[in-house]
Amino acid sequence: MKEFMLLIRNEGDGKSALSPEQQQKFLNDCMVYIQNLIKDGKLKGAQPLVREGKMISGRPGAFKDGPYNESKEIIVGYYHIIAKDMDEAITIAKGNPEFSYIKGARIEVRPIKTVEESTSFVYPKGE
Amino acid sequence: MLVDHFFRHESGKMVSVLTKIFGSQNVDLAEDVVQDSLIEAMEYWQYHDVPDNPSAWLFRVAKNKALNIIHREKYKRQYSNEAAYLLSSGEQSEPADPFSEREIQDDQLRMIFTCCHPSISADSQVALSLKTLCGFSIPEIARAFLTTETNINKRLVRARQMIRDEKIPFEVPKGKDLELRIQAVLETIYLLFNEAYSATKGNDVIRFELCQEAIRLAQMLENENTIKQKGDIFALLSLMFLNTSRFRARQDQEGNLLTMGEQNRLLWDRKLQASGFEYLQKATENTVTGTYYILAAISANYCLAPDYNSTNWENILTLYDCLVEMDHSPVVLLNRAIVLSKITGAQKGLLELERIKNEPQIRTYHLFHSTQAEFFIELGEFEMAISSLIVAAKWAPLESIRVLLKKKISYCKEKISCDSSF
Repeated sequence: MKEFMLLIRNEGDGKSALSPEQQQKFLNDCMVYIQNLIKDGKLKGAQPLVREGKMISGRPGAFKDGPYNESKEIIVGYYHIIAKDMDEAITIAKGNPEFSYIKGARIEVRPIKTVEESTSFVYPKGE
Repeated sequence: MLVDHFFRHESGKMVSVLTKIFGSQNVDLAEDVVQDSLIEAMEYWQYHDVPDNPSAWLFRVAKNKALNIIHREKYKRQYSNEAAYLLSSGEQSEPADPFSEREIQDDQLRMIFTCCHPSISADSQVALSLKTLCGFSIPEIARAFLTTETNINKRLVRARQMIRDEKIPFEVPKGKDLELRIQAVLETIYLLFNEAYSATKGNDVIRFELCQEAIRLAQMLENENTIKQKGDIFALLSLMFLNTSRFRARQDQEGNLLTMGEQNRLLWDRKLQASGFEYLQKATENTVTGTYYILAAISANYCLAPDYNSTNWENILTLYDCLVEMDHSPVVLLNRAIVLSKITGAQKGLLELERIKNEPQIRTYHLFHSTQAEFFIELGEFEMAISSLIVAAKWAPLESIRVLLKKKISYCKEKISCDSSF
Protein backbone atom coordinates (compact mmCIF):
# COMPACT_ATOMS: atom_id res chain seq x y z
CA MET A 1 0.00 0.00 0.00
CA LYS A 2 1.22 3.46 -0.88
CA GLU A 3 0.17 6.93 0.09
CA PHE A 4 -0.87 9.57 -2.41
CA MET A 5 -1.79 13.22 -2.39
CA LEU A 6 -4.64 14.19 -4.66
CA LEU A 7 -4.24 17.93 -5.18
CA ILE A 8 -7.45 19.56 -6.37
CA ARG A 9 -6.87 22.38 -8.81
CA ASN A 10 -9.51 24.90 -9.87
CA GLU A 11 -9.42 27.75 -12.31
CA GLY A 12 -10.27 31.04 -10.58
CA ASP A 13 -13.52 30.67 -8.65
CA GLY A 14 -14.82 27.74 -10.64
CA LYS A 15 -17.42 26.94 -8.02
CA SER A 16 -19.25 30.26 -7.98
CA ALA A 17 -21.08 29.45 -11.22
CA LEU A 18 -23.04 26.66 -9.51
CA SER A 19 -26.63 27.32 -8.45
CA PRO A 20 -27.61 26.38 -4.88
CA GLU A 21 -29.29 23.23 -6.21
CA GLN A 22 -26.16 22.20 -8.13
CA GLN A 23 -24.00 22.98 -5.09
CA GLN A 24 -26.11 20.61 -3.06
CA LYS A 25 -25.96 17.86 -5.69
CA PHE A 26 -22.18 18.27 -5.84
CA LEU A 27 -21.96 18.03 -2.05
CA ASN A 28 -24.15 14.94 -1.94
CA ASP A 29 -21.87 13.26 -4.46
CA CYS A 30 -18.82 14.32 -2.41
CA MET A 31 -20.36 12.76 0.70
CA VAL A 32 -20.79 9.46 -1.11
CA TYR A 33 -17.23 9.72 -2.41
CA ILE A 34 -15.74 10.39 1.03
CA GLN A 35 -17.88 7.74 2.75
CA ASN A 36 -16.74 5.13 0.26
CA LEU A 37 -13.07 6.02 0.76
CA ILE A 38 -13.50 5.85 4.54
CA LYS A 39 -15.35 2.53 4.32
CA ASP A 40 -12.52 1.03 2.24
CA GLY A 41 -9.92 2.46 4.65
CA LYS A 42 -8.41 4.58 1.91
CA LEU A 43 -8.77 8.09 3.31
CA LYS A 44 -6.07 9.47 5.61
CA GLY A 45 -7.17 13.07 5.54
CA ALA A 46 -8.68 15.83 3.46
CA GLN A 47 -8.70 19.59 3.82
CA PRO A 48 -9.71 22.60 1.78
CA LEU A 49 -7.14 25.32 1.28
CA VAL A 50 -7.83 29.03 1.38
CA ARG A 51 -7.52 30.49 -2.09
CA GLU A 52 -5.34 33.35 -0.97
CA GLY A 53 -1.89 32.85 0.54
CA LYS A 54 1.69 33.93 0.16
CA MET A 55 4.41 32.71 -2.17
CA ILE A 56 7.83 32.98 -0.57
CA SER A 57 10.84 33.29 -2.83
CA GLY A 58 14.34 34.71 -2.76
CA ARG A 59 16.87 33.71 -0.11
CA PRO A 60 17.68 34.61 3.49
CA GLY A 61 18.10 38.33 3.70
CA ALA A 62 16.28 38.91 0.41
CA PHE A 63 12.90 37.23 0.75
CA LYS A 64 9.93 38.13 -1.34
CA ASP A 65 6.44 37.14 -0.26
CA GLY A 66 4.19 37.88 -3.17
CA PRO A 67 0.58 36.85 -3.58
CA TYR A 68 0.07 33.16 -4.13
CA ASN A 69 -2.57 33.07 -6.82
CA GLU A 70 -0.77 34.81 -9.61
CA SER A 71 -1.56 32.02 -12.02
CA LYS A 72 -5.09 31.26 -13.18
CA GLU A 73 -5.11 27.83 -11.59
CA ILE A 74 -4.84 27.29 -7.86
CA ILE A 75 -4.79 24.35 -5.48
CA VAL A 76 -8.06 24.51 -3.53
CA GLY A 77 -7.72 21.38 -1.42
CA TYR A 78 -6.26 17.94 -1.06
CA TYR A 79 -7.22 14.35 -0.31
CA HIS A 80 -4.55 12.25 1.36
CA ILE A 81 -5.30 8.66 0.34
CA ILE A 82 -3.93 5.13 0.51
CA ALA A 83 -3.88 3.06 -2.67
CA LYS A 84 -2.33 -0.13 -3.98
CA ASP A 85 -0.49 1.63 -6.80
CA MET A 86 -0.60 4.62 -9.12
CA ASP A 87 -3.37 3.05 -11.20
CA GLU A 88 -5.68 2.73 -8.23
CA ALA A 89 -4.86 6.26 -7.11
CA ILE A 90 -5.77 7.53 -10.58
CA THR A 91 -9.05 5.61 -10.52
CA ILE A 92 -9.88 7.18 -7.15
CA ALA A 93 -9.00 10.64 -8.46
CA LYS A 94 -11.19 10.14 -11.53
CA GLY A 95 -14.13 9.33 -9.28
CA ASN A 96 -13.98 12.75 -7.65
CA PRO A 97 -17.21 14.73 -8.25
CA GLU A 98 -15.11 17.80 -9.14
CA PHE A 99 -14.96 16.57 -12.73
CA SER A 100 -18.75 16.39 -13.12
CA TYR A 101 -19.50 19.82 -11.69
CA ILE A 102 -16.56 22.18 -11.90
CA LYS A 103 -15.51 23.54 -15.24
CA GLY A 104 -11.77 23.23 -15.79
CA ALA A 105 -11.17 21.18 -12.63
CA ARG A 106 -7.92 19.19 -12.55
CA ILE A 107 -6.50 16.78 -10.00
CA GLU A 108 -2.81 16.20 -9.55
CA VAL A 109 -1.94 12.70 -8.30
CA ARG A 110 1.38 12.59 -6.44
CA PRO A 111 2.79 9.55 -4.58
CA ILE A 112 4.17 10.36 -1.15
CA LYS A 113 7.77 9.23 -0.85
CA THR A 114 7.86 6.19 1.43
CA VAL A 115 9.69 3.75 -0.82
CA GLU A 116 12.83 3.99 -2.93
CA GLU A 117 11.48 3.72 -6.48
CA SER A 118 14.27 1.69 -8.11
CA THR A 119 14.69 -0.95 -5.37
CA SER A 120 11.32 -0.84 -3.63
CA PHE A 121 13.27 -0.42 -0.39
CA VAL A 122 11.02 0.88 2.32
CA TYR A 123 12.65 3.79 4.08
CA PRO A 124 13.19 3.11 7.80
CA LYS A 125 10.83 4.96 10.08
CA GLY A 126 12.79 7.72 11.78
CA GLU A 127 12.00 7.01 15.41
CA MET B 1 -27.26 13.48 3.39
CA LEU B 2 -28.91 16.89 3.12
CA VAL B 3 -32.68 17.06 2.72
CA ASP B 4 -33.95 17.79 -0.79
CA HIS B 5 -33.50 21.38 -1.95
CA PHE B 6 -31.80 22.25 1.36
CA PHE B 7 -29.44 24.79 -0.20
CA ARG B 8 -32.21 26.40 -2.21
CA HIS B 9 -34.51 26.83 0.74
CA GLU B 10 -31.78 27.87 3.18
CA SER B 11 -30.75 30.43 0.60
CA GLY B 12 -34.30 31.84 0.61
CA LYS B 13 -34.32 32.05 4.39
CA MET B 14 -30.93 33.72 4.63
CA VAL B 15 -31.64 36.27 1.91
CA SER B 16 -34.82 37.23 3.78
CA VAL B 17 -33.07 37.64 7.11
CA LEU B 18 -30.17 39.56 5.61
CA THR B 19 -32.52 41.83 3.66
CA LYS B 20 -34.08 42.82 6.94
CA ILE B 21 -30.63 43.58 8.35
CA PHE B 22 -29.32 45.43 5.31
CA GLY B 23 -32.64 47.03 4.32
CA SER B 24 -34.74 46.23 1.25
CA GLN B 25 -32.71 48.68 -0.87
CA ASN B 26 -29.73 46.32 -0.41
CA VAL B 27 -31.39 43.07 -1.43
CA ASP B 28 -28.58 42.45 -3.96
CA LEU B 29 -26.03 42.66 -1.14
CA ALA B 30 -28.01 40.06 0.79
CA GLU B 31 -28.02 37.78 -2.25
CA ASP B 32 -24.25 38.14 -2.63
CA VAL B 33 -23.57 37.34 1.02
CA VAL B 34 -25.75 34.25 0.82
CA GLN B 35 -24.09 33.04 -2.36
CA ASP B 36 -20.68 33.46 -0.69
CA SER B 37 -21.84 31.60 2.40
CA LEU B 38 -23.15 28.68 0.39
CA ILE B 39 -19.88 28.40 -1.52
CA GLU B 40 -17.98 28.55 1.75
CA ALA B 41 -20.08 25.71 3.12
CA MET B 42 -19.70 23.65 0.00
CA GLU B 43 -15.94 24.08 -0.14
CA TYR B 44 -15.57 23.15 3.51
CA TRP B 45 -17.99 20.23 3.67
CA GLN B 46 -16.58 18.78 0.49
CA TYR B 47 -13.53 17.62 2.47
CA HIS B 48 -15.15 16.81 5.78
CA ASP B 49 -18.73 15.91 6.20
CA VAL B 50 -21.93 17.84 6.54
CA PRO B 51 -22.13 19.10 10.15
CA ASP B 52 -24.90 17.93 12.48
CA ASN B 53 -26.75 21.19 12.13
CA PRO B 54 -25.95 22.47 8.65
CA SER B 55 -28.52 25.25 8.86
CA ALA B 56 -26.93 26.76 11.99
CA TRP B 57 -23.49 26.46 10.40
CA LEU B 58 -24.65 28.39 7.34
CA PHE B 59 -26.37 31.08 9.36
CA ARG B 60 -23.31 31.67 11.49
CA VAL B 61 -21.15 32.07 8.43
CA ALA B 62 -23.67 34.43 6.85
CA LYS B 63 -24.01 36.47 10.04
CA ASN B 64 -20.27 36.83 10.30
CA LYS B 65 -20.04 37.98 6.69
CA ALA B 66 -22.88 40.45 7.24
CA LEU B 67 -21.20 41.94 10.31
CA ASN B 68 -17.99 42.23 8.39
CA ILE B 69 -19.66 44.11 5.54
CA ILE B 70 -21.48 46.45 7.87
CA HIS B 71 -18.22 47.30 9.61
CA ARG B 72 -16.39 47.75 6.37
CA GLU B 73 -18.99 49.72 4.48
CA LYS B 74 -20.41 51.63 7.41
CA TYR B 75 -20.25 54.94 5.61
CA LYS B 76 -20.83 53.75 2.07
CA ARG B 77 -24.34 52.43 2.37
CA GLN B 78 -27.46 53.10 4.32
CA TYR B 79 -28.66 50.19 6.38
CA SER B 80 -31.81 49.57 8.36
CA ASN B 81 -31.98 50.06 12.13
CA GLU B 82 -31.71 46.32 12.41
CA ALA B 83 -28.10 46.56 11.23
CA ALA B 84 -27.14 48.97 14.02
CA TYR B 85 -28.81 46.67 16.49
CA LEU B 86 -26.98 43.64 15.22
CA LEU B 87 -23.77 45.61 15.35
CA SER B 88 -24.23 46.75 18.94
CA SER B 89 -25.47 43.45 20.30
CA GLY B 90 -22.86 41.41 18.49
CA GLU B 91 -22.86 37.80 19.55
CA GLN B 92 -25.03 38.21 22.65
CA SER B 93 -28.23 39.02 20.84
CA GLU B 94 -30.28 36.63 22.96
CA PRO B 95 -33.58 38.53 23.50
CA ALA B 96 -34.43 39.07 19.80
CA ASP B 97 -32.05 36.90 17.86
CA PRO B 98 -32.66 37.75 14.19
CA PHE B 99 -31.75 34.18 13.30
CA SER B 100 -34.40 32.43 15.39
CA GLU B 101 -36.93 30.15 13.67
CA ARG B 102 -39.76 32.57 14.38
CA GLU B 103 -37.88 35.58 13.02
CA ILE B 104 -36.79 33.69 9.92
CA GLN B 105 -40.39 32.77 9.16
CA ASP B 106 -41.51 36.38 9.62
CA ASP B 107 -38.73 37.66 7.39
CA GLN B 108 -39.65 35.26 4.62
CA LEU B 109 -43.20 36.59 4.77
CA ARG B 110 -41.91 40.17 4.61
CA MET B 111 -39.84 39.12 1.63
CA ILE B 112 -42.90 37.71 -0.15
CA PHE B 113 -44.72 41.02 0.24
CA THR B 114 -41.67 42.98 -0.87
CA CYS B 115 -41.09 40.85 -3.97
CA CYS B 116 -44.78 40.89 -4.89
CA HIS B 117 -45.26 44.61 -4.43
CA PRO B 118 -47.79 45.94 -6.96
CA SER B 119 -45.43 48.64 -8.23
CA ILE B 120 -43.07 45.96 -9.57
CA SER B 121 -44.11 44.50 -12.93
CA ALA B 122 -45.57 40.99 -12.83
CA ASP B 123 -42.76 39.20 -14.63
CA SER B 124 -40.16 40.96 -12.46
CA GLN B 125 -42.07 39.91 -9.34
CA VAL B 126 -41.93 36.29 -10.45
CA ALA B 127 -38.21 36.45 -11.27
CA LEU B 128 -37.32 38.18 -8.01
CA SER B 129 -39.36 35.75 -5.91
CA LEU B 130 -37.68 32.78 -7.55
CA LYS B 131 -34.24 34.28 -7.12
CA THR B 132 -34.49 35.53 -3.54
CA LEU B 133 -37.13 33.35 -1.88
CA CYS B 134 -36.67 30.10 -3.71
CA GLY B 135 -32.91 30.18 -4.32
CA PHE B 136 -33.05 29.60 -8.08
CA SER B 137 -30.12 30.79 -10.17
CA ILE B 138 -30.55 33.04 -13.20
CA PRO B 139 -29.76 30.22 -15.67
CA GLU B 140 -32.31 27.97 -13.95
CA ILE B 141 -35.05 30.60 -14.14
CA ALA B 142 -34.22 31.29 -17.78
CA ARG B 143 -34.39 27.58 -18.58
CA ALA B 144 -37.71 27.14 -16.85
CA PHE B 145 -39.33 30.04 -18.69
CA LEU B 146 -37.67 29.32 -22.04
CA THR B 147 -36.01 32.69 -22.19
CA THR B 148 -32.48 34.07 -22.06
CA GLU B 149 -30.37 34.76 -18.98
CA THR B 150 -30.00 38.38 -20.11
CA ASN B 151 -33.74 38.70 -20.12
CA ILE B 152 -34.14 37.32 -16.59
CA ASN B 153 -31.29 39.49 -15.39
CA LYS B 154 -33.01 42.58 -16.79
CA ARG B 155 -36.20 41.70 -14.91
CA LEU B 156 -34.22 41.32 -11.69
CA VAL B 157 -32.38 44.59 -12.14
CA ARG B 158 -35.67 46.40 -12.79
CA ALA B 159 -37.24 44.84 -9.70
CA ARG B 160 -34.38 45.86 -7.40
CA GLN B 161 -34.34 49.33 -8.93
CA MET B 162 -38.06 49.70 -8.25
CA ILE B 163 -37.60 48.64 -4.63
CA ARG B 164 -34.98 51.37 -4.21
CA ASP B 165 -36.82 54.08 -6.15
CA GLU B 166 -40.20 53.47 -4.56
CA LYS B 167 -38.61 52.83 -1.15
CA ILE B 168 -40.67 49.67 -0.85
CA PRO B 169 -40.45 48.75 2.82
CA PHE B 170 -39.53 45.33 4.13
CA GLU B 171 -42.75 44.63 5.99
CA VAL B 172 -46.03 42.78 6.02
CA PRO B 173 -48.88 45.24 5.35
CA LYS B 174 -51.49 45.71 8.06
CA GLY B 175 -55.26 45.99 8.29
CA LYS B 176 -57.26 46.59 5.10
CA ASP B 177 -54.08 46.91 3.09
CA LEU B 178 -53.17 43.34 3.99
CA GLU B 179 -56.27 41.88 2.30
CA LEU B 180 -55.52 43.71 -0.94
CA ARG B 181 -51.86 42.89 -0.92
CA ILE B 182 -52.54 39.20 -0.28
CA GLN B 183 -54.55 39.16 -3.50
CA ALA B 184 -51.56 40.64 -5.34
CA VAL B 185 -49.25 38.00 -3.84
CA LEU B 186 -51.63 35.19 -4.78
CA GLU B 187 -51.79 36.53 -8.33
CA THR B 188 -48.00 36.40 -8.59
CA ILE B 189 -47.89 32.89 -7.16
CA TYR B 190 -50.57 31.78 -9.61
CA LEU B 191 -48.71 33.40 -12.50
CA LEU B 192 -45.51 31.65 -11.45
CA PHE B 193 -47.38 28.37 -11.19
CA ASN B 194 -49.08 28.77 -14.55
CA GLU B 195 -45.95 29.73 -16.41
CA ALA B 196 -44.25 26.64 -15.08
CA TYR B 197 -47.26 24.38 -15.56
CA SER B 198 -48.31 25.39 -19.03
CA ALA B 199 -44.97 25.73 -20.80
CA THR B 200 -45.06 22.97 -23.36
CA LYS B 201 -41.36 22.44 -23.78
CA GLY B 202 -38.18 22.79 -21.85
CA ASN B 203 -36.77 21.00 -18.88
CA ASP B 204 -39.55 19.02 -17.25
CA VAL B 205 -37.79 18.49 -13.94
CA ILE B 206 -37.23 22.15 -13.28
CA ARG B 207 -40.78 23.08 -14.20
CA PHE B 208 -42.16 20.52 -11.79
CA GLU B 209 -39.93 21.98 -9.07
CA LEU B 210 -41.25 25.43 -9.89
CA CYS B 211 -44.81 24.19 -9.37
CA GLN B 212 -43.73 22.84 -5.99
CA GLU B 213 -42.15 26.19 -5.13
CA ALA B 214 -45.38 28.02 -5.95
CA ILE B 215 -47.14 25.68 -3.53
CA ARG B 216 -44.46 26.28 -0.89
CA LEU B 217 -44.85 30.06 -1.16
CA ALA B 218 -48.62 29.80 -0.78
CA GLN B 219 -48.12 27.55 2.25
CA MET B 220 -45.96 30.23 3.86
CA LEU B 221 -49.00 32.49 3.71
CA GLU B 222 -51.22 29.68 4.95
CA ASN B 223 -49.04 29.21 8.04
CA GLU B 224 -49.14 32.87 8.98
CA ASN B 225 -51.32 33.57 12.00
CA THR B 226 -51.80 37.27 11.38
CA ILE B 227 -53.65 36.50 8.15
CA LYS B 228 -57.25 35.90 9.13
CA GLN B 229 -59.02 35.37 5.80
CA LYS B 230 -57.40 32.34 4.27
CA GLY B 231 -60.16 31.16 1.93
CA ASP B 232 -58.47 32.27 -1.25
CA ILE B 233 -55.13 30.86 -0.09
CA PHE B 234 -56.78 27.46 0.48
CA ALA B 235 -58.51 27.69 -2.90
CA LEU B 236 -55.32 28.51 -4.77
CA LEU B 237 -53.47 25.73 -2.94
CA SER B 238 -56.22 23.30 -3.90
CA LEU B 239 -56.04 24.37 -7.54
CA MET B 240 -52.25 24.04 -7.64
CA PHE B 241 -52.23 20.63 -5.93
CA LEU B 242 -54.96 19.24 -8.19
CA ASN B 243 -53.28 20.48 -11.36
CA THR B 244 -49.83 19.34 -10.25
CA SER B 245 -51.24 15.85 -9.65
CA ARG B 246 -51.70 15.54 -13.42
CA PHE B 247 -48.25 16.93 -14.24
CA ARG B 248 -46.62 13.67 -15.28
CA ALA B 249 -49.55 12.50 -17.36
CA ARG B 250 -49.69 15.58 -19.56
CA GLN B 251 -47.02 14.51 -22.03
CA ASP B 252 -46.37 11.39 -24.05
CA GLN B 253 -42.94 9.78 -24.46
CA GLU B 254 -41.98 12.26 -27.18
CA GLY B 255 -42.92 15.24 -25.05
CA ASN B 256 -46.13 16.04 -26.93
CA LEU B 257 -48.84 17.63 -24.87
CA LEU B 258 -51.83 15.36 -24.24
CA THR B 259 -55.40 16.52 -23.81
CA MET B 260 -57.36 15.49 -20.74
CA GLY B 261 -59.06 12.79 -22.82
CA GLU B 262 -55.77 11.27 -23.93
CA GLN B 263 -54.05 11.18 -20.54
CA ASN B 264 -53.30 7.92 -18.76
CA ARG B 265 -55.08 8.42 -15.47
CA LEU B 266 -52.91 5.84 -13.72
CA LEU B 267 -50.13 8.43 -13.91
CA TRP B 268 -52.10 10.94 -11.89
CA ASP B 269 -50.54 11.47 -8.47
CA ARG B 270 -53.24 10.47 -5.99
CA LYS B 271 -51.35 11.82 -2.99
CA LEU B 272 -51.16 15.31 -4.45
CA GLN B 273 -54.81 15.00 -5.40
CA ALA B 274 -55.75 14.12 -1.84
CA SER B 275 -54.05 17.32 -0.62
CA GLY B 276 -55.91 19.23 -3.31
CA PHE B 277 -59.25 17.88 -2.10
CA GLU B 278 -58.36 18.69 1.52
CA TYR B 279 -57.66 22.29 0.63
CA LEU B 280 -60.84 22.46 -1.43
CA GLN B 281 -62.74 21.31 1.64
CA LYS B 282 -61.07 24.01 3.75
CA ALA B 283 -61.88 26.64 1.14
CA THR B 284 -65.52 25.51 1.11
CA GLU B 285 -65.67 25.82 4.90
CA ASN B 286 -64.40 29.38 4.50
CA THR B 287 -67.22 30.06 2.02
CA VAL B 288 -65.03 31.53 -0.68
CA THR B 289 -66.36 31.86 -4.18
CA GLY B 290 -63.48 33.57 -5.98
CA THR B 291 -61.87 32.59 -9.27
CA TYR B 292 -59.36 30.22 -7.66
CA TYR B 293 -62.14 28.38 -5.90
CA ILE B 294 -64.09 27.81 -9.10
CA LEU B 295 -61.01 26.81 -11.04
CA ALA B 296 -60.12 24.37 -8.25
CA ALA B 297 -63.63 22.96 -8.30
CA ILE B 298 -63.43 22.46 -12.08
CA SER B 299 -60.07 20.75 -11.69
CA ALA B 300 -61.53 18.56 -8.93
CA ASN B 301 -64.36 17.45 -11.20
CA TYR B 302 -61.87 16.28 -13.79
CA CYS B 303 -59.86 14.47 -11.11
CA LEU B 304 -62.94 12.67 -9.81
CA ALA B 305 -63.95 11.09 -13.12
CA PRO B 306 -62.62 7.53 -13.52
CA ASP B 307 -62.35 8.13 -17.27
CA TYR B 308 -62.82 11.03 -19.64
CA ASN B 309 -66.27 9.98 -20.89
CA SER B 310 -67.71 9.80 -17.41
CA THR B 311 -66.68 13.37 -16.61
CA ASN B 312 -69.54 15.24 -15.00
CA TRP B 313 -69.94 17.88 -17.73
CA GLU B 314 -73.11 19.39 -16.22
CA ASN B 315 -71.24 20.20 -13.00
CA ILE B 316 -68.35 21.68 -14.88
CA LEU B 317 -70.65 23.78 -17.07
CA THR B 318 -72.37 25.23 -13.98
CA LEU B 319 -68.94 26.15 -12.61
CA TYR B 320 -67.97 27.76 -15.90
CA ASP B 321 -71.18 29.79 -15.83
CA CYS B 322 -70.09 31.15 -12.43
CA LEU B 323 -66.60 31.78 -13.73
CA VAL B 324 -67.88 33.72 -16.75
CA GLU B 325 -69.66 36.11 -14.39
CA MET B 326 -66.34 36.98 -12.74
CA ASP B 327 -64.03 36.65 -15.70
CA HIS B 328 -65.58 37.41 -19.05
CA SER B 329 -62.36 36.86 -21.00
CA PRO B 330 -62.64 35.09 -24.38
CA VAL B 331 -60.34 32.30 -23.20
CA VAL B 332 -62.79 31.41 -20.43
CA LEU B 333 -65.65 31.53 -22.97
CA LEU B 334 -63.65 29.27 -25.27
CA ASN B 335 -63.20 26.69 -22.53
CA ARG B 336 -66.87 26.97 -21.62
CA ALA B 337 -67.78 26.29 -25.26
CA ILE B 338 -65.82 23.02 -25.16
CA VAL B 339 -67.67 21.91 -22.03
CA LEU B 340 -71.00 22.97 -23.50
CA SER B 341 -70.36 20.92 -26.64
CA LYS B 342 -69.93 17.80 -24.48
CA ILE B 343 -73.50 18.21 -23.28
CA THR B 344 -75.34 19.72 -26.24
CA GLY B 345 -73.17 18.72 -29.18
CA ALA B 346 -70.58 20.24 -31.43
CA GLN B 347 -73.08 22.41 -33.33
CA LYS B 348 -73.82 24.38 -30.12
CA GLY B 349 -70.11 24.62 -29.47
CA LEU B 350 -69.54 26.16 -32.88
CA LEU B 351 -72.25 28.75 -32.25
CA GLU B 352 -70.52 29.75 -29.03
CA LEU B 353 -67.23 30.14 -30.86
CA GLU B 354 -68.91 32.37 -33.46
CA ARG B 355 -69.65 34.86 -30.69
CA ILE B 356 -66.00 35.34 -29.73
CA LYS B 357 -64.25 34.80 -33.06
CA ASN B 358 -63.54 38.50 -33.62
CA GLU B 359 -61.92 39.15 -30.24
CA PRO B 360 -58.34 40.27 -30.92
CA GLN B 361 -56.68 37.84 -28.49
CA ILE B 362 -58.75 34.96 -29.89
CA ARG B 363 -58.01 35.49 -33.57
CA THR B 364 -54.34 34.68 -33.08
CA TYR B 365 -54.91 31.97 -30.45
CA HIS B 366 -54.14 28.58 -31.94
CA LEU B 367 -56.35 26.73 -29.45
CA PHE B 368 -59.41 28.63 -30.65
CA HIS B 369 -58.89 27.41 -34.20
CA SER B 370 -57.98 23.86 -33.24
CA THR B 371 -61.07 23.69 -31.02
CA GLN B 372 -63.17 24.86 -33.94
CA ALA B 373 -61.55 22.16 -36.07
CA GLU B 374 -62.42 19.51 -33.47
CA PHE B 375 -66.06 20.56 -33.61
CA PHE B 376 -66.08 20.37 -37.42
CA ILE B 377 -64.50 16.91 -37.31
CA GLU B 378 -67.20 15.75 -34.91
CA LEU B 379 -69.83 16.98 -37.37
CA GLY B 380 -68.05 15.31 -40.30
CA GLU B 381 -67.29 18.63 -41.99
CA PHE B 382 -63.71 17.84 -42.88
CA GLU B 383 -63.17 20.60 -45.46
CA MET B 384 -64.09 23.22 -42.84
CA ALA B 385 -61.91 21.43 -40.27
CA ILE B 386 -58.90 21.63 -42.58
CA SER B 387 -59.21 25.39 -43.06
CA SER B 388 -59.40 25.87 -39.26
CA LEU B 389 -56.41 23.61 -38.73
CA ILE B 390 -54.36 25.62 -41.21
CA VAL B 391 -55.05 28.81 -39.26
CA ALA B 392 -54.27 27.01 -36.00
CA ALA B 393 -50.93 25.84 -37.39
CA LYS B 394 -50.14 29.39 -38.44
CA TRP B 395 -50.44 30.63 -34.85
CA ALA B 396 -49.09 27.58 -33.02
CA PRO B 397 -46.22 28.70 -30.76
CA LEU B 398 -44.28 25.44 -30.96
CA GLU B 399 -43.10 23.08 -33.66
CA SER B 400 -44.43 20.06 -31.74
CA ILE B 401 -47.94 21.52 -31.83
CA ARG B 402 -47.65 22.22 -35.56
CA VAL B 403 -46.66 18.59 -36.12
CA LEU B 404 -49.78 17.40 -34.34
CA LEU B 405 -51.96 19.81 -36.30
CA LYS B 406 -50.50 18.60 -39.58
CA LYS B 407 -51.27 15.01 -38.59
CA LYS B 408 -54.87 16.10 -38.05
CA ILE B 409 -54.94 17.72 -41.48
CA SER B 410 -53.78 14.49 -43.15
CA TYR B 411 -56.44 12.61 -41.19
CA CYS B 412 -59.12 14.95 -42.52
CA LYS B 413 -57.84 14.62 -46.07
CA GLU B 414 -58.00 10.83 -45.81
CA LYS B 415 -61.59 11.06 -44.63
CA ILE B 416 -62.49 13.29 -47.56
CA SER B 417 -60.94 10.93 -50.13
CA CYS B 418 -62.66 7.94 -48.47
CA ASP B 419 -66.02 9.70 -48.68
CA SER B 420 -65.56 10.64 -52.31
CA SER B 421 -64.53 7.10 -53.32
CA PHE B 422 -67.96 5.77 -52.41
